[in-house]
Amino acid sequence: MAKKALNYAYYPGCAAKQIQKEADWSARAISEKMGITLHDMPKATCCGAGNLQEHDPAAGLAVCARIFSQAEEMGMDICTICNTCLQTFTFANERLKNEPELLEKINAVLSKAGVRPYMGTIDVKHLIWVMVDDLGIEEVKKHVEKPLNGLKVAPFYGCHALRPYEVFNGRGGQSPQYLDTIIGAIGGESVDYNGKDKCCGFHTMLVQEDTFLKMSGGHSLEAKREGAEIMVSPCTLCDMALGAYQARSEKYLGQKIDLPEMSISQLVGTAFGLDHKKLGFNRLHQNPEKVFKSRGVA
Amino acid sequence: MADTKKVTFRVQRGETVQGQYASRVEEFEVEYGRSTTVLQALEGIKADQDGSLTFRRSCCASICGSCGMVINNRSRLACKTKVRELVEGIPEKNLQGSDVIEIAPQKNQPVIKDLAVDISEFYQKVDKIDPYVQEGKEADKQVTKSSFEQVNMVSNCIMCGCCYSDCTEMVESPDFLGPAALAKAFRFVADPREGHKTERLQELSEKNGIWDCTRCGMCVDACPKDVAPMEAITKLRTRAMEAGVTDNPGARHAIAFKNDIAKGGMLNEPMLLLKTLGVAGAVGQLGNALHLAKKGKIPSIFPHKVDDVHEVESIFKELDANPIEVETKQEDTGPGAG
Ligand code: SF4
Ligand code: SF4
Ligand code: SF4
Ligand code: SF4
Ligand code: FES
Repeated sequence: MAKKALNYAYYPGCAAKQIQKEADWSARAISEKMGITLHDMPKATCCGAGNLQEHDPAAGLAVCARIFSQAEEMGMDICTICNTCLQTFTFANERLKNEPELLEKINAVLSKAGVRPYMGTIDVKHLIWVMVDDLGIEEVKKHVEKPLNGLKVAPFYGCHALRPYEVFNGRGGQSPQYLDTIIGAIGGESVDYNGKDKCCGFHTMLVQEDTFLKMSGGHSLEAKREGAEIMVSPCTLCDMALGAYQARSEKYLGQKIDLPEMSISQLVGTAFGLDHKKLGFNRLHQNPEKVFKSRGVA
Repeated sequence: MADTKKVTFRVQRGETVQGQYASRVEEFEVEYGRSTTVLQALEGIKADQDGSLTFRRSCCASICGSCGMVINNRSRLACKTKVRELVEGIPEKNLQGSDVIEIAPQKNQPVIKDLAVDISEFYQKVDKIDPYVQEGKEADKQVTKSSFEQVNMVSNCIMCGCCYSDCTEMVESPDFLGPAALAKAFRFVADPREGHKTERLQELSEKNGIWDCTRCGMCVDACPKDVAPMEAITKLRTRAMEAGVTDNPGARHAIAFKNDIAKGGMLNEPMLLLKTLGVAGAVGQLGNALHLAKKGKIPSIFPHKVDDVHEVESIFKELDANPIEVETKQEDTGPGAG
């Protein structure tokens, strides 16, 4: 049987384009290795991150519909690497697909603005869903050159890929599996901890920084207590909260955390034997090299 | 009984003695059939194995809201949750089956004994939002049936506290009003007869109110009556901004997105910070910014413009000229609603 072509309209999100560039680099690098082709969307704007949707719900829907329409024109589903983009899109897509009157209204606005209408035919997926559901985990395994040798990895799923379960059609929900499946496939061992499907607090960071630092730092500490040597997330914003801000949490909590955090793409890339520089390791706030060395993943 | 199976219930028991909570875990073997609920199983334990096991219940029909407890890591109504579903899993919720049923008291509230928690704070917070329609100058004289499409879903709340127990914000910020109280507040803001809508929105925009929610969705998942508190909170934010209640970081942050998207298509992170926090606040964030800068994570003040961004400007212009109504609605779901 011929292998099916895996083509996606790639939507990394604002954070990956501006701050968490390493998530973008590594997502592209591992996709290339796995034969997943990510196509740029030069016209795509920011998704609104739920903020635009609160401020101006109609504009929020229209901005998403414009992006969906581009993917539809490309003949592809959207693939993203940010949970908040995933959820914002999914909320909009579910409504546009299931409420014909709403779709008509939004399309009328798009048409007036000279934008191709959206026909409601695309799906929005996370790269980790693509790897497990579309490519298949056996395919992922084939590319492993440096298995993680039992490295204890704490998966942090991030709330915006899980809830409300109704909108994710069985891909979110209460027993998330995607990260665990991938961690297992590349030779790591998943660490179970209470915080893994909770919230890092990112979206209240600017409103109440102290709560945010307690939330995110608390999850890292808990994971560490449960034996984690490293933490991964599928979301650029979770990465920021748990990785980039970890030292801030440490300062606030008055306690060392010292748990390397990286995006799942960076961890997969490591197991694929990709160059650490290419994976953006130098941009990480906690150096993971020591941990990898101790497991013989040089 | 035909067709019964056995499963272990692992129950977190305990009580608060002189302000200190002392807990222990006890296991009970339970028989269950096709339709045995967790509540029936607990009743069985109490009747046949240990009469001192303490929990609340009354209606046994998801009406009274007294049997909310943590069941396999999530807050659920014991009378609405079937043992068989927990053992076999619930595919639509992507909940894996489990051979042990773990029962614990609700979170975010002090335990009185075993599975009974002190719900007074939960109730006080609902009281804080003045849960009744008030007379005043914003009261509409005309009430149409469609106006209740906003109120219906929140009116289904049975005050079980499941959302409150699972709320992630509540864990680190115990003064947060919480999902149920905020959902109820929306019920009054959305009620045409309410006379103080704007004043309510002002109060709700203060600390511990609508802008403190992390949008984690836990409450939506937890609610046994489809109240979807997070959705109500989102709508409160929308209405607050519509009413001009924008002098707070949460609202300023949300508003900043629209301009950025219209101008270049992408977020302008440094400007976003300034707009959200003001100059003084942004200076307060300097430590964070410098920290990020150490790793070269300095977003450009002039982010790259996406192609054809004028289309977005046209979309916004069109919507300004001819606004459209897109709010989600819920039909009357029967007795108890309204
Ligand atoms: S965990 Fe934090 S950053 Fe990740 S999706 Fe949830 S709120 Fe967003
Ligand atoms: S969405 Fe908001 S109110 Fe609901 S559980 Fe999360 S933080 Fe609490
Ligand atoms: S998210 Fe849900 S459970 Fe949490 S506070 Fe809001 S309504 Fe209640
Ligand atoms: S909103 Fe739902 S979960 Fe929260 S108290 Fe009301 S019925 Fe219970
Ligand atoms: S016993 Fe009344 S809701 Fe469960």
